Amino acid sequence: MPLVDLKDVVKRYGTNTVLNGVSLSVEKGEIIAIIGRSGSGKSTMLRCVNGLEPIQGGTVAFDGTIVNDPGTDLRKLRQHVGIVFQSFNLFPHLSVEKNITLAPKVVKGMAPAEARRLAETVLRKVGLAEKIDAWPDQLSGGQQQRVAIARSLAMSPQLMLFDEITSALDPELVGEVLKTLEEMAREGMTMMLVTHEIGFARKVADRVVFMHHGKIWEEGPAAATLGAPRTPELETFLSAVLH
Amino acid sequence: MIREFTFTDVLYLVAAMRWTLALTAIAFLGGGIVGLAIALLRVSPLAPLRWAGTVYVLVVQGTPLLAWLFVFFFGLSILGVEVSPWIAAAASYSIYAGAFLGEIWRGCLQAIPKTQWEAGASLGLSMAAQLRYIIVPQATRLAIPPTVGFLVQLIKNTSLAAVIGFIELTREGQLTTATTFRPFTVYLTVAALYFLLCFPLTQASRRLERRLHAAR
Ligand SMILES: Nc1ncnc2c1ncn2[C@@H]1O[C@H](COP(=O)(O)OP(=O)(O)OP(=O)(O)O)[C@@H](O)[C@H]1O
Ligand SMILES: [Mg+2]
Repeated sequence: MPLVDLKDVVKRYGTNTVLNGVSLSVEKGEIIAIIGRSGSGKSTMLRCVNGLEPIQGGTVAFDGTIVNDPGTDLRKLRQHVGIVFQSFNLFPHLSVEKNITLAPKVVKGMAPAEARRLAETVLRKVGLAEKIDAWPDQLSGGQQQRVAIARSLAMSPQLMLFDEITSALDPELVGEVLKTLEEMAREGMTMMLVTHEIGFARKVADRVVFMHHGKIWEEGPAAATLGAPRTPELETFLSAVLH
Repeated sequence: MIREFTFTDVLYLVAAMRWTLALTAIAFLGGGIVGLAIALLRVSPLAPLRWAGTVYVLVVQGTPLLAWLFVFFFGLSILGVEVSPWIAAAASYSIYAGAFLGEIWRGCLQAIPKTQWEAGASLGLSMAAQLRYIIVPQATRLAIPPTVGFLVQLIKNTSLAAVIGFIELTREGQLTTATTFRPFTVYLTVAALYFLLCFPLTQASRRLERRLHAAR
């Protein structure tokens, strides 16, 4: 059974159909890169996976649970699905430690001392062990984004969703975040990542999904799909992003 | 009989301030409870709850406080229900302050970006936990200046309770003027006493804001 299974997903905002029959399954341990022009529905698809967006048609399943079933306990589901956003979305009124430990304490009832150790562990994974007592606004964008990744990791998710997590960063800070992603890839994390970093997608992803007009226009193994696009749309897109 | 405006009159005015303070405290407490409920209704994900909150705010903000005082004090007694001035004042001021505080706090809650709610939801936090640990702490900081601003208005608006028999600061001033015929001196004193109440509040608000900012 695939970990994530989207079947004919339709998402509309009013009369604007943003996802127009999207089907995609992701196996455990797979890394999927999602590329496509602005407005093609990449973020929306990602947000459907953890139920942040209600859908109007089709089904979204995670680990056998139907996400769009009104009876599904989304809170429980989201403990297993981490998401990291372009804009970090750290909690500005909480220290790095508290950002990370909030959910383990509140959702899982973890004791403060254990939660602190957990924060130390996940911060070490993203290379920021020494920032545990810092405040978000004392960190660079790259560091903030790595704290956001650590915050998600603290819930031990089975799946990580990344939505253009390097797009808001200065070019010299992109590398440190991508390195963290590579680390997670090596540890076997299942990941779906929306990215404009084509080189990174080719290097890390198992499969590439190209979205166009709310549809999965083309998908396949990363190297083959990016190296030899089958559709003119993907070819145009690639030549545009690769200059 | 006309007499001089003496220090004793000033003391009487100061003494009348206790009713001003008591009314303010009741209004702020009652209004705070109502306001919190209204703010939460107004940001609720359920549309009927939002509408209920909106209607409440529209009705109360669109009617004078004086009318509520009359309704609760005189209106109910005409219907045969005897209401003490305290109950009438508490009810009227809670209704009134609740609408305004509710709107202020709703604005502060909504000023927190939607992405903060999403970040909390994505970590598996319930709606209540998102409010409690993420939204309210951030909104509180924003809420301090406008809340204190409203509190200062409230202090001054307690003078309306004179119509149902409270002899608070402004009313005491009127009574003193009636016997001394020194309106200028009396009302200047009254104004100074209001200032003494309000000024420290605005100062405290600034300090608190700074402190919360330092503690993030
Ligand atoms: N909350 C919303 N309300 C209305 N329309 C929306 C909303 N969110 C997204 N859309 C629309 O849905 C479409 C797809 O948006 P989406 O954010 O998924 O695109 P994207 O592929 O992630 O683009 P980008 O690369 O710019 O992030 C766009 O046309 C956008 O205007
Ligand atoms: Mg997007």
